[in-house]
Amino acid sequence: MTRSRISSRWIFASVPLLAAAVLIGARTAKSGRVAVSAAPDTSAMALIARGRQGVLSHGCGGCHGGFDDPSAPGWLAGKMSDDQVFAIGACNVVHPDAKPCFKTYPRNLTPDNETGIGRFTERQIFNALRYGLRPEDTPDVDITSMTPGQGNFPAHPRYLAPPMPWPDWRHMEDADLWAIAAYLKRAVKPVHNRVPESEGPPDFWASDYAKLAGPYPSKPFPTENERVPDQNGAAPNH
Amino acid sequence: MRTIGEVMATAMMLLGTLSTPLASARIGPSSPSSPSMASDTLRQPPELRNLSRVPGIVDVELTAAPARLRLVRGGPLVDVYAYNGMVPGPTLDVHEGDSVVVHFHNKLPEVTTVHWHGLHLPAIDDGSALFPVPPGSTYVYTFRIPAGYAGTYWYHPHPDARSSYQVTMGLFGAMLVRARDDPLAALGIADKVLILSDNRFDAHGAISFPDSGSIQADVDLENGREGNVLMVNGQVMPTIQIPPGGMQRWRIIDASASRVYRLSVPGAQLIHVGSDGGLFAHALPVHDVMVANSERVEVLVQAGSTPGERMRLDDLPYDRYMPQTRPANWDSTRSLLSLVVSHAPAAPAIRVPTLLRYVPPLDTTHVAVRRVIVMSQGLIDGRKMDANRVDLHGRLGTTEIWEIQNVVGMDHPFHLHGFRFQVLDRDGVPEPFPSWKDLVNVPEHSSVRIVVHFDDFPGKWMYHCHILDHEDEGMMGVLELN
Repeated sequence: MTRSRISSRWIFASVPLLAAAVLIGARTAKSGRVAVSAAPDTSAMALIARGRQGVLSHGCGGCHGGFDDPSAPGWLAGKMSDDQVFAIGACNVVHPDAKPCFKTYPRNLTPDNETGIGRFTERQIFNALRYGLRPEDTPDVDITSMTPGQGNFPAHPRYLAPPMPWPDWRHMEDADLWAIAAYLKRAVKPVHNRVPESEGPPDFWASDYAKLAGPYPSKPFPTENERVPDQNGAAPNH
Repeated sequence: MRTIGEVMATAMMLLGTLSTPLASARIGPSSPSSPSMASDTLRQPPELRNLSRVPGIVDVELTAAPARLRLVRGGPLVDVYAYNGMVPGPTLDVHEGDSVVVHFHNKLPEVTTVHWHGLHLPAIDDGSALFPVPPGSTYVYTFRIPAGYAGTYWYHPHPDARSSYQVTMGLFGAMLVRARDDPLAALGIADKVLILSDNRFDAHGAISFPDSGSIQADVDLENGREGNVLMVNGQVMPTIQIPPGGMQRWRIIDASASRVYRLSVPGAQLIHVGSDGGLFAHALPVHDVMVANSERVEVLVQAGSTPGERMRLDDLPYDRYMPQTRPANWDSTRSLLSLVVSHAPAAPAIRVPTLLRYVPPLDTTHVAVRRVIVMSQGLIDGRKMDANRVDLHGRLGTTEIWEIQNVVGMDHPFHLHGFRFQVLDRDGVPEPFPSWKDLVNVPEHSSVRIVVHFDDFPGKWMYHCHILDHEDEGMMGVLELN
């Protein structure tokens, strides 16, 4: 998985961070068993419910606040305490001063105009989840290419910091991503909580993602690591 | 004969720490006994010659062309772009009420414009990217300086996507608008122009630009290009002489592509008397004064009374950067020039007038439109500039209040073309007194409210981040007034 490849390269520093990463893993794994309404329902409430389900099942709260409890204080409000700070790079508990060391901070995902996602459009949030593009740095347009500089893909993309597993979550269906954007923008109460700007390399992780992120869309099934079930739908015998 | 390496190393020693690995890798050690560059007296750029003999008419010829000039004293001739063959360009020195005609010739191998930064003039004479001047052609800029516009301005290219390059190559000059009843001139206070610029040079002394795709190119795009050699009027660490107890008025222009200066003169009294659009109502003693790129400040400097005493104009640390690209040595102080108390007879004491001039606050009780302008990285209101799109529609004769929000983790200086404005508050803190501005630095994650009155001149006007690399990337918008 992309995330595990990143975390093996960038040694995460703190125990709470590892816990958060584990939580994300657990929830991501669980999402396969969560029933998501298959028939698209265009009513607003169904859209919100689908988005809420997406947020819960993908553990957004694990990093952005509130864990899996929408009634918890700080639900999705971003970094409020130091144990939500991620340290990426050579620094760790033993060598906190080792370089490179970048501190990144989970952003405020509530629709507060000043400190949250209030001023971003749902399309900018969709672009963040699908392409990893920081909404404040990316025009509010439909992205028409996967290659920087081509189509509407920014020539100098600025990406979300690696703890955000967008390279995995971009494989979600369009409708799920739009629903998450709708839930965040329309159905969460704004919380005023200013989060510091995350640190990172000058290219905003572009070269790292170019190396580490898998192809999108992913390669057709089956690849050399996968197998086609037999006629009964069971694992093949050989 | 010294090599460029020695010259640059001398410059570095005077400037403090090296700022780029490039510079440190290529510039060899030098002995401190190299001829001191600090002996240069600060030069004033020559005035643009007025070809008109009619009072009230200023008629000048201005040519932008490639040239080979010595940018650093003792250094080699290097390729530059120059206005009338000099860097900085000649100073346009005019009075309130003058009619100005500039016959501008573009002899560059590329499109350019001349933007009369801060002036109130017809849109077609503003020199914005919307009115490009093709190579080999002439454009006649015509404008009248309105009453009340006395102040320190500057001119520079503003073509689509090439401003950072052209300014870095040497195209910038001062523009002074004088009032006939200037209260400080009446006291006989000496007036000096200080154009601050910075640049980077390669091992051969040529102006150095990063390879596209390099980390330095990314950093330049993010921060805006900063040079490690700091200059005043194109000189590295020049000297200003001042008689004992004397007072000088410095008109400081930040012509750097992106560098923000926090200026201080330890040992001297610094009095802040004006900003972009001229004098304040009252003088304000300060420890230091900020000047963002493209911003101007006017200060009175009163030196000590001991002949031979040396002081320095320092640039104090200021963090305007994204955490990703903050230079390692951002927190070091650099010196820009030496101020030396001369052996001349002591200057008579000067009492700065209580009231410099009247600066009327703009009427905020009849506001036609209130707008929110959001600056993010490379974007204004979530978009890049499109010359065929109008982002804001306004009406002539109305007053507007703009709340300019910066939603990212680095500063963005905001510039509105053609119309001076007043800052109302910064992050809700009221501005202590009204002053005329055409550029306001909006620090990271903060907002500034400005009030502007659109009294005259219909057409399309640009507003943008004045970090030239951001401007070139399209961090701009178009306001149409009808």
